[in-house]
Amino acid sequence: MRAAVMMLLIAGAARATTFYLTVAGLGGEPDYEKQFASEAAAIDRKVKQADPGAVSVALSGAQATKQKLQAALATIAGRAGAGDSLVVMLIGHGTYDGLEYKMNLPGPDVTAAELAAWIDRVPAKRQLVVNMTSASGASLAALEKPGRIVITATRSGNEKNVTVFARYWADAFADPGANTDKNEKLSALEAFRYAEDRTARFYETAKRLASEHAQLQDTGHGSGVADPSPKNGQGLLAAQFVLLPLGGQAGAVTPEKAALLKHKQELEDQIDQLKYRKAAMPAEEYQQKLTTLLVDLAKTQAELDK
Amino acid sequence: MKWFGAALALVVLAGAARAGVADQCLELRKHGREVEARECFAGLAKSADAAASAEGYWGLGRYEEANARFREALKEHPESAEIRVRWGRLLLDRFNRADAAQLFQEALQKDPKNAGAYVGMALVASAGFDAKAVEFARKAAELDPKLVEARELLAYLKLEDGDEAGAGKSADEALKLDKDALDAMAVHAAMDWLKGSLIEQQPKSAWLDRMMMVNPGYGRAYSIPAHFFVINRRYVEGIRLYEMAIKIEPTLWEARSQLGINLMRVGRGDEAKAQLALCYENGYRDSETVNSLRLLDSFKDYEHVRDGGAYLMLAKKEADLLEPYFAEVANRARAAYEEKYHYKIPGLVSIEVYPNHEDFAVRTTGMPGLGALGVTFGTVVAMDSPSGRPPGEFHWGSTLWHEMSHVYVLTMTQHLVPRWFTEGLAMYEETQAGPGWGDRAQRDDIEAIQKGKLLPVAELDRGFIRPSYPQQVEVSYFQAGKICAYIAQKWGYAKLVSMIGDFGARKTTPKVIQGELGVAPADFDKEFLAWMKQRYAEPLAHLDDWKKGAQKVAELVAARQYDEAIKEGLAIRDEFPQYVETGSVYEMVAAAQLAKGDKAGAVQELSAYAAEGGRSPDVLKKLGALEQEAGQTDKAIAALERLNYIYPEDEELHRRLGDLYLGKHEAAKAIREYRALLALNPLDQAASHYGLARAYHEANQVKEAREQVLMALEAAPEYRPAQKLLLELTK
Repeated sequence: MRAAVMMLLIAGAARATTFYLTVAGLGGEPDYEKQFASEAAAIDRKVKQADPGAVSVALSGAQATKQKLQAALATIAGRAGAGDSLVVMLIGHGTYDGLEYKMNLPGPDVTAAELAAWIDRVPAKRQLVVNMTSASGASLAALEKPGRIVITATRSGNEKNVTVFARYWADAFADPGANTDKNEKLSALEAFRYAEDRTARFYETAKRLASEHAQLQDTGHGSGVADPSPKNGQGLLAAQFVLLPLGGQAGAVTPEKAALLKHKQELEDQIDQLKYRKAAMPAEEYQQKLTTLLVDLAKTQAELDK
Repeated sequence: MKWFGAALALVVLAGAARAGVADQCLELRKHGREVEARECFAGLAKSADAAASAEGYWGLGRYEEANARFREALKEHPESAEIRVRWGRLLLDRFNRADAAQLFQEALQKDPKNAGAYVGMALVASAGFDAKAVEFARKAAELDPKLVEARELLAYLKLEDGDEAGAGKSADEALKLDKDALDAMAVHAAMDWLKGSLIEQQPKSAWLDRMMMVNPGYGRAYSIPAHFFVINRRYVEGIRLYEMAIKIEPTLWEARSQLGINLMRVGRGDEAKAQLALCYENGYRDSETVNSLRLLDSFKDYEHVRDGGAYLMLAKKEADLLEPYFAEVANRARAAYEEKYHYKIPGLVSIEVYPNHEDFAVRTTGMPGLGALGVTFGTVVAMDSPSGRPPGEFHWGSTLWHEMSHVYVLTMTQHLVPRWFTEGLAMYEETQAGPGWGDRAQRDDIEAIQKGKLLPVAELDRGFIRPSYPQQVEVSYFQAGKICAYIAQKWGYAKLVSMIGDFGARKTTPKVIQGELGVAPADFDKEFLAWMKQRYAEPLAHLDDWKKGAQKVAELVAARQYDEAIKEGLAIRDEFPQYVETGSVYEMVAAAQLAKGDKAGAVQELSAYAAEGGRSPDVLKKLGALEQEAGQTDKAIAALERLNYIYPEDEELHRRLGDLYLGKHEAAKAIREYRALLALNPLDQAASHYGLARAYHEANQVKEAREQVLMALEAAPEYRPAQKLLLELTK
């Protein structure tokens, strides 16, 4: 990911567009209706603030019908290119009858299979689908596809209580603390970890049995996992997916800056490699090498910031 | 309480012949002729009569067979109340209180005048220190004036209530009916021993001699008195008596289990485990034994930290977070109480902190009226961790401060202090420890004053030990605390300290009140009530109006009628200004003010909430944020600092406090807060390590600052502020 972004910066290539579609489904009760719409609006607002070049559409209330959802995805499919990114975020109630997942919308509900078919038509190669409804775990199998990251708020269709995951997913867009690697880009993995952590703490603090267990799947096959890591092979794509840019736009790249950026990239790669070898190295040697690299990186960044 | 099935009143048995045979067996056992008793029970077990056979198996300790035979007996005699009573007693012996109670109730439906069923009901009630126990036992004695067990039970229950005269009378009545009424003698022996100290003296009593004449292997001669020592918090003496009980009757598992439990209470974990394991291995597996063993096993998940005069036992997962705060309160309390009470505790005070409330509950099981949040056994304090309760539900700092008062008062009086005084003094001390600490008046307390439910001071212990209505324990804590506040206000704090000495010298409450305060207890009660009525004049006069008004304010806020909500809220708030629980008027008015953009008004309202002891983390954080926004840094810090003693498991709290302290260049406090933040294992490791690095940098601890900033950058190599600090530290 880092390498790809660097290439774009150095080459000054045109920025790819990210298409965001946020849907707040049927609340059933006024409080839920308001909550779902408010979470969708908060995400939409933050996206528009952080990424003016992005295309963000939020459907809520009477607008969030199956027909409009299909139309919105069809519009994106018509505008997006292969180099663009797609983010679909679903908030609300979902149901699972043992056979089929449905998201509750005003009018007819939408099934996971229908959603998957519509999203498949979007040519953007980088895709993220975040289904935050109750019972959303049951939609994972239908939605998963190579190259697509799928996040669900629940582990299965049997977790049927209203979820809180969406609240914290929306918070991740606004909390700088969610960007844990401080690289000025909120990745899908960072947002997932943030929302998952906050959700778990919510239940722990309230002394309630957790009725939702969020999952992430980005290999295109198999089950989702709660804790993506190299060990289970999940999370690599999500780590590379920029959900929200947090920093300012890069200025003009002079040859001097290009050299510094290249050096910076090399240092970052060396740091990554060093961290992977940490367990196999004497602690003192690791610390010494890490310090040297970090000091060098800091100096390089300082030069870049001049 | 525990009662013992061996002292059976066989008149409740079905059929005179069956009763007579079982009676003979039990008499042999009662007189220590165990070999013959077992032969007798073995013969009875072979009986064709299922109920008689059940008695035989029961006597042999073959409980499952006894249970099966009672089931058969009831099939044969479905209308029998007597079989139900005896079966219920078996189940009670085998720790199945619920089914036993069901059988006693069924027996009473079949035969409303069945004295044995009432004894059973009394035993079930007494296990939970339910006030109905006495009522049921009295009823049994009325229905069958010759029922020795009912009299013995009454003696036992009265002594639990501290009614020595009544206990002695009931015991004597039992002895008139049966000169060998061993349990009645044990109650007498208990009364003899409670008057003295068994720490250095041997337990001697004419009653003990009489019991040993009847049965030299009668362990209950010691274990019944032991129970009374324990419920009077005289654990060391209780342990000694339990040890003597099992010495003469090694298979008295109930006494051995209680020995284990009390050894655990005073911090002798290894010895406790040995005794409890022995009980378990021998089939004595009541919930107290099993839960205590489980708890002892879980101690491996704790770590011990010595800090000053405190020896903390903290769950490993939260030790790093809690240690500085708990050690600070414990050591501050020690210093404060040494000065106040003019007494030094020799040695350390152990403080066990349980993140799982169920584990804490194991420490208090079988003890009447102990705190729901903390408990003190000599110099061992056990309490809930703040993480063991929902945020804001309790103020752990107050609880620890309270328990530390007990450590001193119990030690100074050798545990002779009455419950009401030690609880009342501890409640009063809480309020002196800091702003927002200590008890708050609840609606139940106000209603208790209104309805004349406060107890006379001389009888206040009853409210703790055998409450007669659901909230009475809590109301009694409140009342006792206010009594001490009243004494401190009218006669001076020194009187309270003198009273500790009086109680240690075995003076009774009436004598202490009269002697120290120069007023008769009855007059004291009248004057105290008048003081309370003055102190709580507003809620006493307006409680019902206030309730209606608070409901209206809530509705107005929900309807977004903010002006009306503020007007109504301000009009009723001071009718019960002490009410700061969920949905307080302060919160609702502040919410309406904020909705209207009146931040200054909200700050004022929430400050009043905090001053009254409001403890909601969300509300206090809101107050802190508003004060910070208004540039009132010190006030914001004060609001947030309160939360450290309520619910420190909050990343945002420590991050904000760390930042605020850093802004004020108070490096040590900033370090404490960022360390607490890191102990919570926050998701944002980089920012947290960076915060700590800045705090160390502020404190000129360059090495530590560099370590922390490198940790921040290890997590987030591109973290610009941390990079800048690293370069600064590398210069």
